Amino acid sequence: MEHIATTSIVLPFLVFFPFLGAVVSYIIGRSNKGARDLWTWILSAVVFVASLMLLGKETVYEISGFCGLGMSFAADGFGMILAVLTSSIWLITTLFSKEYMAAERNRNRYYFFVFLTLGATMGIFLSADLFTTFIFFEIMSFTSFVLVMHDEEEFTMRAAKTYLAVAVIGGLVTLMGLFMMYQKAGTLNMNELTAFMQAQENPGDFYAIGVLILFGFAAKAGLFPLHIWLPNAYTVAPAPSSALLSCLLTKTGVFGTIIVSCKLFLHDAAWGNFILILGIITMVMGAVLAVFSVNLKRTLACSSMSQIGFIIIAIGMQGLLGEHNALAASGTFLHFLNHSLFKLLLFIGAGVIFMNLRELNLNKVRGYGKDKPLLKFIFLMPILGIGGIPLWNGYISKTLIHESMVEYIEVLAEAGQSTTFMHCAEALFLFSGGLTLAYMTKIFVCIFIEDNPYGVAQSVRKGPYMSKMMAVILAAIAILLPVLGCLPHQTQDVLAAMGAHFMNAHTPEHAIHYFAWVNLKGAAISICVGAVVYFLFIRKVLMRKDAQGNLVYVDCWPEWCNIEDKIYRPLLLTVLPYIGGFFARIAGNLLDGIISVLRMLIFNDDNGRVVPPEDKYFSAYTDYEADHEMYREGFATSLLLIGIGLTVAVIYIIVG
Amino acid sequence: MSGTVLLLLPMILPFIFGLIIGFQKEEKQRNTLVFIATAIEAGLVWYLCMGDHSFLLWQITDRLSLAYHTDGLAKFFACLISTIWLIAAVFSMEYMKHEHKPERFFMFYTFSLGALMSLCFSENMMTLYLSYEFMTILTAPLVIHTGTPEAVRAGLKYLGYSFFGAGLGLMGFFFLNTYCETTSFVAGGTLDMALVAGNENLMLIVFFLMALGFGCKAGMFPLHAWLPTAHPVAPSPASAVLSGIITKGGVIAIIRVTYYLFGVDFLRGTWAQTALLVLSIVTIFMGSMLAYKEKLLKRRLAYSTVSNVSYVVFGLMLMCPAGFMGALLQVVFHAVAKNILFLCAGAIIYKTHKTFVYELKGIGKEMPIVMWTFALASLSLIGIPPTSGFVSKWYLAQGGLMPEAGVLGLVGVAILMVSALLTAGYLMSIVLNTFFPGKDFNYASLQKKEPNYLMTVPLVLLSIAVVGFGMMPTPLLDIISSISGMIF
Repeated sequence: MEHIATTSIVLPFLVFFPFLGAVVSYIIGRSNKGARDLWTWILSAVVFVASLMLLGKETVYEISGFCGLGMSFAADGFGMILAVLTSSIWLITTLFSKEYMAAERNRNRYYFFVFLTLGATMGIFLSADLFTTFIFFEIMSFTSFVLVMHDEEEFTMRAAKTYLAVAVIGGLVTLMGLFMMYQKAGTLNMNELTAFMQAQENPGDFYAIGVLILFGFAAKAGLFPLHIWLPNAYTVAPAPSSALLSCLLTKTGVFGTIIVSCKLFLHDAAWGNFILILGIITMVMGAVLAVFSVNLKRTLACSSMSQIGFIIIAIGMQGLLGEHNALAASGTFLHFLNHSLFKLLLFIGAGVIFMNLRELNLNKVRGYGKDKPLLKFIFLMPILGIGGIPLWNGYISKTLIHESMVEYIEVLAEAGQSTTFMHCAEALFLFSGGLTLAYMTKIFVCIFIEDNPYGVAQSVRKGPYMSKMMAVILAAIAILLPVLGCLPHQTQDVLAAMGAHFMNAHTPEHAIHYFAWVNLKGAAISICVGAVVYFLFIRKVLMRKDAQGNLVYVDCWPEWCNIEDKIYRPLLLTVLPYIGGFFARIAGNLLDGIISVLRMLIFNDDNGRVVPPEDKYFSAYTDYEADHEMYREGFATSLLLIGIGLTVAVIYIIVG
Repeated sequence: MSGTVLLLLPMILPFIFGLIIGFQKEEKQRNTLVFIATAIEAGLVWYLCMGDHSFLLWQITDRLSLAYHTDGLAKFFACLISTIWLIAAVFSMEYMKHEHKPERFFMFYTFSLGALMSLCFSENMMTLYLSYEFMTILTAPLVIHTGTPEAVRAGLKYLGYSFFGAGLGLMGFFFLNTYCETTSFVAGGTLDMALVAGNENLMLIVFFLMALGFGCKAGMFPLHAWLPTAHPVAPSPASAVLSGIITKGGVIAIIRVTYYLFGVDFLRGTWAQTALLVLSIVTIFMGSMLAYKEKLLKRRLAYSTVSNVSYVVFGLMLMCPAGFMGALLQVVFHAVAKNILFLCAGAIIYKTHKTFVYELKGIGKEMPIVMWTFALASLSLIGIPPTSGFVSKWYLAQGGLMPEAGVLGLVGVAILMVSALLTAGYLMSIVLNTFFPGKDFNYASLQKKEPNYLMTVPLVLLSIAVVGFGMMPTPLLDIISSISGMIF
């Protein structure tokens, strides 16, 4: 790709127009709800069209002096695809919001913050330096908090506050890292940082800074052990917001991880290993949590966590493979995109169910979809995709990641190094793929295949279960998934090639044979694992007979396994403030304490000192309201006189 | 007498107006007068700051004089203070309706402005010291305005601490008079190195004690205790200016002593610098921690001031351009943000008589404008971009991470982050409570309680500044660079 970038006003427009539009929407919404809904549609459509204008050329834009250091935006292939993805997903969720939010209160506030978040998300994806990224990252954390908080139920408040706390702590730690990086490098521009880091003889000195910068992004991406907010926040947020969280907002964390890994620690094996380990833990943990979950949205949330683990693994593999990381880079970007498409459909689908039943518990929504072929289709496509079934797009991206691991094992074997660790990693990768299928089968069977022993829940809405418009849009996207999967070279490879430059990767030297046996084998293993887990574990262990003798889904997740409640909250809310408060109080009362002690020692009848009289009028304003006499006596007069006396005294001393 | 007589006007006008205001019982007339006085003052100060002026009031001896001038630092503080004074005055007009003897309040409020202007424009240590004492004395009536026993006790405490601190300053002045070539403020310092030779340690002790003494006004540990006592009892507009502006009086004095008398070259790398850095870091943490634990809104804000003004001291004591830049930015941004917070607290008290943070549930729905400004100011104090607090924190951190600052600088920056987290804890929790009262909240109990324009307009103006300065700090950065260019 030629790297002659043109200045384009479209970049700042995409970022700042939503901010402006948010304010307009709030003002319109105060008087006319219908006009407001229309405006939100127009707004997101305009942003969508504008983002399409980015396609095809590389663009940059700079605003000097903004927030001190100035802002810079750039869109290469990676940025423009993310911008289009963001605007299109936003358009769809906004269209869906109207029917979903119809019964909610505080809608004006919701739309206001939705569009602030849109601007901030665009700002992150289009940023060309970490300073800009950080500014919008912080804005997004705060604005999206309001989206999570929306229904203000007690559990929601708790989840949302956890979300905010993790975001704030993460943001501050990242900021600390940025301070140090800027101090060392004198720039935060991503490309200049790459050059700076390449010039370093010992990049190991920067690992600490790298970890600090990564911290906030990792928190947003839901990486272990900072994932605590994720399952709850996704579950409680309104469905359109959950979709946004899963498809885009969490991805900003992944985006940040890519920046740190591919811009700062480019081709750094030690760093890659670190990222890989984080990714593996997150992937397995998310998948296991999802298997145990009995709440539709919670399953999807844990699934997001797990899938992000897959993406993070791909990022780690980029570092490990060094120069020859084309497969891993393609896998990173494609799974990034594919996952957004899956979760868009699944979360909106879950939203459709919730909006009709006001329930998400699997035992309550069971059997709801049996007679709804369209909804079944809308769920089935992404489920097959995310499960990595050949001919669907998820298979392509997962295969790429898997291939990169296999490739690295070969590299290690050639170099004569131990491959045990990578073999374990590969095994866990395939195992998690199997779990993905298992938990997805669990929700699909539950909603669309099984009968509900207690009868299908009644819809609280009148009319069709979703609008025609949404049905058409969702069906179109659902059809897109197998199309992408069947024509990987025409679609997926092209996308991957556009994203490669941003990650400082090359395109693969030769076309990948996605449907060769060696690649299909991985999928086959995963499918077998999935089948075993589903039939032997989910159906046997996680479903039990209730009092009436019917098989129901039970939540078997052990209570003690909650690090939020067992570690973070007690530590941050009780232990540390107690210790800090203890020392702060000592310091705070130090001088006052000394004064009191001295007072007791000096003004003491026993040693015959003068005890000042306790005169209640001493130094008090006089009580009576004599109009013009109030400055003659009382404290105010004393003060004035002291002032005058002081002046005279000083002058006298000096002159004399 | 020489120079521009006009320069004397900012000190004299407030006293003339103040005396007239003090006898205005009629509310409308008084308010008009207060507005005219503060507006003329602000206009005059801005006009004077366009050019360079100096004025010698009285040559007392050949070494001592009362003189004023408008150098970069003087302009910077004078413009800031006179503008915020005007804005807070407008707010006070409405607020003081529910206090007794508003004319007395406004009289001293106007007087104080004169003392502050004198402090800003002072050209030498003598003038500065006198203005400093006048500022203390004239602001004390604002603290004890309500006349309750607690208020009087708080006022006495305020006076005691301030006089003690100023006393340390005076003591230092005696030494400086001997060891300096002149006690006029000269960028870069005026120490007579020939005399100092051999007495370096003595001079460092003097510097340390002076900084400690003037640090009292800035709420620096260990002389910070007057702040949390005085702020809650004073009327809210008074707390706002005490916290936002008067504490900066201490900062002016510290800057003048550090950068214009001793000079950074003499101080850099000494134990005095280290000791003051440690004290400021301790204060930053202590203030935030105590604020986090505090339940009374105004006292929480007072502790927050203790912490936040020490950011400034930290920046100043780093003695490098980035630290100086961060410190002066923090002066402006903290003044604006803390004024908003105290004025909001005032608006809440005025409308609902609620003073504890746990009483504020759902109040964001009743007074949305007030609480929105509160939220923006909170974000600024935490340092969330694009609000202004982020910019000052950025420069402070750059200063702290300079290789010269060493480990202490790193610790300081880390503590800044911890403090920011605590700030989020003690301010965002209020914001969340007020805007998101929860599903079970009884929305029917809400009433419209938005105060009138006299209160909301100042708040909105200030919050525009909070965000505006954050997004476009370039003009401010240029001004401060020109000041620091003289010093370093």
